[in-house]
Amino acid sequence: MSEPLTIAPTSGDSSRKPRDVVELLAQWSLPSTPQTFEARLFWFTRGKGTEDVGVVATERVPAAGARGNHRVRFTLPEAPYSFSGRLISLIWAVELVADKTAARWEFVLAPEGREILLQQSTDAARLR
Amino acid sequence: MRRACDNPFAVHRVLRERYRLSAVEWQALMARLEPLGWRGAIVGPHGSGKTTLLEDLAGRLERQARRIHWLRFSTDQRRLAFVPRWEAADFVLCDGAEQLSFLDWRRVAAGARNAGGLVITTHRAGRLPLLHRCETSPDLLHSLIASLGEPLSTRECGELHARHDGNLRAALRELYDRWAIGGMKAD
Repeated sequence: MSEPLTIAPTSGDSSRKPRDVVELLAQWSLPSTPQTFEARLFWFTRGKGTEDVGVVATERVPAAGARGNHRVRFTLPEAPYSFSGRLISLIWAVELVADKTAARWEFVLAPEGREILLQQSTDAARLR
Repeated sequence: MRRACDNPFAVHRVLRERYRLSAVEWQALMARLEPLGWRGAIVGPHGSGKTTLLEDLAGRLERQARRIHWLRFSTDQRRLAFVPRWEAADFVLCDGAEQLSFLDWRRVAAGARNAGGLVITTHRAGRLPLLHRCETSPDLLHSLIASLGEPLSTRECGELHARHDGNLRAALRELYDRWAIGGMKAD
């Protein structure tokens, strides 16, 4: 394992639906046993303005040593859906944090499993 | 459809850019701080990189095992709540000091009297000795845009810089909008 910390789903791709259960494999190879170790399910925004974030669930990872692996499971909520417009994108992710080291897996949460694209309703005039 | 998260001028990408100071310039800035009693002001107009420089300074001070305390003020956040009495191990960084009234500024200065250091950002010199003056240029804007991955001609950078009176934040916001509607091109 080249990265000190990784997190990836045990099955499927990055498309998920509300209420799905997502199982991820956390693997680590760190210089020492981390003091704090947890996985966080959250969404965040990216775009033009102030970034927002919402943490939905947190699970402590039992770190018995500097190296190891552990499976974490989260039941996904109903909303918010992953979407993108010109001004803002909402992105879902699970982050694995061991002290100051972190790894992230991003995914799409939407009824069809596809990111919702806000069409051309945001025209150039409204961007100003 | 151009997605916001792919926009090269999205906030999360712009915030990755650090203040452009060479190693020698950093050394000079840190050397200036000590004779000032670790008290100084980073002065510059809107969008000239004062906050970015203060954040970069915080990283360097943390590596010197300083205990950093942030005070952040803006046009939306001008009120000063409780001011602790900081100690020698504390280093106070006050972003947007020009937003503070004379009285609130005196409270901050008094609270930091025994602190190991106090550095502020402000639009106008005067509250603390000048540590660094932030200035922008068309070349700096050109370099920032290039490192964000969307090269723009020197001429356009010059016009953009002038149109926003040297405010790099405002210039990059304009480029965000232009990219979003497909209007970016390096001519």
